Amino acid sequence: MPAGIASASLYLERFSDLLDRTAGEPSWLRQRRERAMERFLSMGVPTARNEEYKYTDLSALAGGERLLGLQQPGLAAIPPAYVGDDAKAVWFGEGLAVAGFAQAGVRVMSLREALLAEPSLLEEHLGTIAVPDQHALCALNTAFFPEAAVVMVEPGTLAKEPVHLMFGDGMGGRHPRVLIVAGRSSSVRIVETYSGAGSFWRNAVTEIRATANARVEHCRAQFESTNAYHTGVLQGLQDRDSYIGSFSFSFGAKVARNDIGTRLDGTGCECSLDGLYAVRDSQHVDHHTAIDHAAAHCNSHQLYKGVLDGNTRGVFNGKIFVRRDAQKTDAVQSNKNLLLSDKAEVNTKPQLEIDANDVRCTHGATIGQLDATAAFYLRSRGISAADARNMLTYAFAADALDRVRVKPVRHHFKSLLLARFAREDG
Amino acid sequence: MLQIRNLRVSVDGQKILRGVNLDIQPGSLHAIMGPNGSGKSTLASILAGRDGYEIEAGSITYHGQDLLEMDPEIRAREGIFLAFQYPVEVPGVTTMYFMREALNAVRKHRGKEELSAGDFLRLARQKIKPLGMEAGMLKRAVNEGFSGGEKKRSEIFQMSMLEPTLGILDETDSGLDIDALQVVADGVNALRSPDRAFVVITHYQRLLNHIVPDYVHVLGDGRIVRSGDKTLALELERRGYSWIVPASGQAAAAGA
Ligand SMILES: Nc1ncnc2c1ncn2[C@@H]1O[C@H](COP(=O)(O)OP(=O)(O)O)[C@@H](O)[C@H]1O
Ligand SMILES: [Mg+2]
Repeated sequence: MPAGIASASLYLERFSDLLDRTAGEPSWLRQRRERAMERFLSMGVPTARNEEYKYTDLSALAGGERLLGLQQPGLAAIPPAYVGDDAKAVWFGEGLAVAGFAQAGVRVMSLREALLAEPSLLEEHLGTIAVPDQHALCALNTAFFPEAAVVMVEPGTLAKEPVHLMFGDGMGGRHPRVLIVAGRSSSVRIVETYSGAGSFWRNAVTEIRATANARVEHCRAQFESTNAYHTGVLQGLQDRDSYIGSFSFSFGAKVARNDIGTRLDGTGCECSLDGLYAVRDSQHVDHHTAIDHAAAHCNSHQLYKGVLDGNTRGVFNGKIFVRRDAQKTDAVQSNKNLLLSDKAEVNTKPQLEIDANDVRCTHGATIGQLDATAAFYLRSRGISAADARNMLTYAFAADALDRVRVKPVRHHFKSLLLARFAREDG
Repeated sequence: MLQIRNLRVSVDGQKILRGVNLDIQPGSLHAIMGPNGSGKSTLASILAGRDGYEIEAGSITYHGQDLLEMDPEIRAREGIFLAFQYPVEVPGVTTMYFMREALNAVRKHRGKEELSAGDFLRLARQKIKPLGMEAGMLKRAVNEGFSGGEKKRSEIFQMSMLEPTLGILDETDSGLDIDALQVVADGVNALRSPDRAFVVITHYQRLLNHIVPDYVHVLGDGRIVRSGDKTLALELERRGYSWIVPASGQAAAAGA
């Protein structure tokens, strides 16, 4: 449904300010912003009446964040630079700062720098991978992102060190934007972390282009305040023989909604979209994935695991489209949930649309509790009830965590996970 | 060390133990035999503290304490060890990690220092060797994908690591070939000492050629219907159970 009058006028006002501030932008970008603004105004913030948001009602955000009294993400304890000593951390403070980044063949640029250095690459990719037409929140980000982090990997570069994009206090305001373009036969690992204190709404969009034979391993971790709303889009576009791996670690926020997708647009592509969500109290976490098998001989894997405590709700919806020409597609999807409380709830649903006939698509979903027999077995050896619970919870998540390719990040997630569900009693 | 008095237990309204009495002294080894369904595993589970049972009457005193009031982990730290009839698979938790946590919890409780990773590994390798298992097993998830024999040996390995005061073996011999049986028996015999007692639950007399009991008890229809020395086991082997446990099994099945 269209944005209401109050919020429409608010957004228009802010959009007009933004156009003033970004007067130097090239006309193609302005046109994309204006079109996105139109699209957003006609769609509005999605509510539960929209089938795609059936379980995740964002109507609380419909009045616009200022009406809600939501702030910019505040200064939080920013996670340590755990990517490792030799990691290339890029911090995003107010506006955008690119600090101390140097790695042969990998450039991390602000929007302005990228517009100067690579105008045609930018025009080709920015806003064309994550298309705002059907997606209100993507449209909103496209209209408003004040800055962007642009990562360009030169063809043939095998980047040894991961790039860490940190979105701490207020970066890019409410609409952080990332564009990653991996040149032919390049390889890169990128970690995005989102944190922030206070009540705010962050609406992030990341676009990834993996050109022929490129390999992008992406990890997005969100540990925002439990008063925050987090909406995020991650969209990939893959040329032949490329690989995109995405890992979504969703830990914070009051309400988190992640839309993660990729289009396998050339033969021989592969993708893994994986994730782990771990929530407690009254948090709500929603992952919607969409894999578009548009070409033959492509493989996709998905493993999403959830640990839910308290009154939480988890949502998983996994779409797999197999187009007519996408013969020999091999698609595997799995969503497994562990409920630590009988008040936690999960809605999980695979959604397969298959138009090719020679394909293999499998999916499975489970919702279960801790194995009481296993817990007793551990306790019968002297392990406390709380430790037994922790061990089993960690064991449940372990195979998902194994898919995080940056070791210090993996360890960090592990310790967060264990701390999160640690209890004194049984 | 352990006194069981008039223990009556039911599950889902079905009476399973109907007044068990048993005294165990330090240094002794008791075999408990009996037909399938006679309540042997139930008794073992009660001793280890598994929940889901209704204790209708009776008491269990362990070293002067009310055992039934203790959590399973406290029992383990106080020296009770149950080798499960069906050891549980715990995917995602390695045997190494599991045993280190367990051993340190037990040591801490007993006022000993926790073992460093190095000392732990040395000890584990030393204990695993005589059981005929590779040290690589320590890196595998607990019991996951283990054969029946490997699971039973792993139980004995855990027991030798934790050095219990009262070891309870529930059909640890079932399904083992003669070599594995010997390995298990050697593992138990190596642990025998004047201050340690064992309860060996078995269906077959065969094991008792290798682990020689001081007492043999026959559990039938939820009670100890006869006690004797090791010759009782031989007699059972010859004559079966029906002469001392009339209509056993049927009575339990009928819920009588
Ligand atoms: N958890 C349970 N739920 C229901 N019945 C049980 C349970 N455990 C044991 N029983 C029943 O109790 C009786 C004794 O079982 P068990 O102790 O396993 O015997 P044994 O080990 O001597 O073969 C059997 O009739 C069995 O079906
Ligand atoms: Mg049994």
